[in-house]
Amino acid sequence: MDGIHDLGGMEGFGPVAATFDQNPFPGFADWEKRVVGLSYTLPLDGMTIDWFRHVVELMAPRDYLQTAYFDKWYAAYVVMFTDNGTFTLPDFGRPSALADTGAPSGEAVADVLAQDRASAGSYERPAGSPPAFAVGQTVRTRAHMHSGHHRLPRYARDAEGRVISHHGCHPLPDASARGTETPEHLYTVRFDARTLWGPDAPPNDHVALDLWESYLVPA
Amino acid sequence: MPTFKPKRAAELHRDLHSHVPSDPVLRVKALESLAVERGLVTSERIDAWVEAYSDHIGPKRGAQVVARSWLDPGFRARLLDDAASAIREFGFEGDATGDLKALENTPEDHHLVVCTLCSCYPFSILGMSPAWYRSAEYRARAVREPRTVLAEFGVTIPDDVSVQVWDSTSERRYIVIPQRPAGTEGWDEDRLAAIVTRNAMIGTDRHLEIGAP
Repeated sequence: MDGIHDLGGMEGFGPVAATFDQNPFPGFADWEKRVVGLSYTLPLDGMTIDWFRHVVELMAPRDYLQTAYFDKWYAAYVVMFTDNGTFTLPDFGRPSALADTGAPSGEAVADVLAQDRASAGSYERPAGSPPAFAVGQTVRTRAHMHSGHHRLPRYARDAEGRVISHHGCHPLPDASARGTETPEHLYTVRFDARTLWGPDAPPNDHVALDLWESYLVPA
Repeated sequence: MPTFKPKRAAELHRDLHSHVPSDPVLRVKALESLAVERGLVTSERIDAWVEAYSDHIGPKRGAQVVARSWLDPGFRARLLDDAASAIREFGFEGDATGDLKALENTPEDHHLVVCTLCSCYPFSILGMSPAWYRSAEYRARAVREPRTVLAEFGVTIPDDVSVQVWDSTSERRYIVIPQRPAGTEGWDEDRLAAIVTRNAMIGTDRHLEIGAP
């Protein structure tokens, strides 16, 4: 989808508001911390990370640019819990009846830390076919994608780069966003900055992207 | 189950504004209240996640990994070979680090990490990302004019140093291993870890300050 989320290389934005602190929740409002906590606890059967990303991408462009990052997550949860029939939109307008809670017990914190560790795992899946490309090979990215979810940004389309590593098969985001797991070979492809941005880019700079096999064609 | 219907999701996005409170504080509270009332979550569990990210999961973990990589060549080799396995030696594995790659800064190369399409970040090793990492400004500009972005962080990269930008387009995640600064000979792991900044592990810091002697 050629959406507003695909920001890489877009011009007209101002300086980055650099911060330098080591705060574990850098610049977070309390409501943003709650969204983080909700993201780890809300049960969403059958949700995939790519459907979640696609739901965020489907926000209207004007809203996308004006909505804070964790507010986009909030909107995605409202959409997903309405989409799956758990709630209706008017439910989300009802005022809070939350009681104040004290600090969590040490046990509860230990339990979520254990849950986090247990959630670790590679996305690599068994390969059903040999890879079409080899490390060191020059490849070209597809010029045209499709209107669903995928992970080939506009700035890296129809461009030649070199495969610098191969990672076995990982679920194709395009399929995961539709609820199916279709593993496909994944490569890291390195592009010269001049290929992407033209002759004024520094000659020794590069941009690397992780790209699935179906995003690539032989050069 | 999700319907996986993009058109329906886009319609719900447009419609939700007329239903939810306009203040994010109130609308997030209303969501939590609703989920608690329906028995989907408990507030204590959410509190526990917030505390886990306040006191345990954060950039101090990454800093410790970097410090050890400076002291222990065997560990450094394991980290550069397979960072997802190497961080298990600390028990730092968790969300979004199952396919982790460590990028080694050298005198010739400077690495910079971004996610232009959303804001992917290696949570279990660096904690929550700073707002600038998630901003449209950084996502748009880091790939196109990384040297200008770095200058906004006070980092000047000489022309003979190559800038390598990594756009996190898959579930693979990246951590930059900065160079050990001169003047830290004989320091132990904790002392070294204390000088490793979050920004250095994303790539928006290059020369670590060692502070007053």
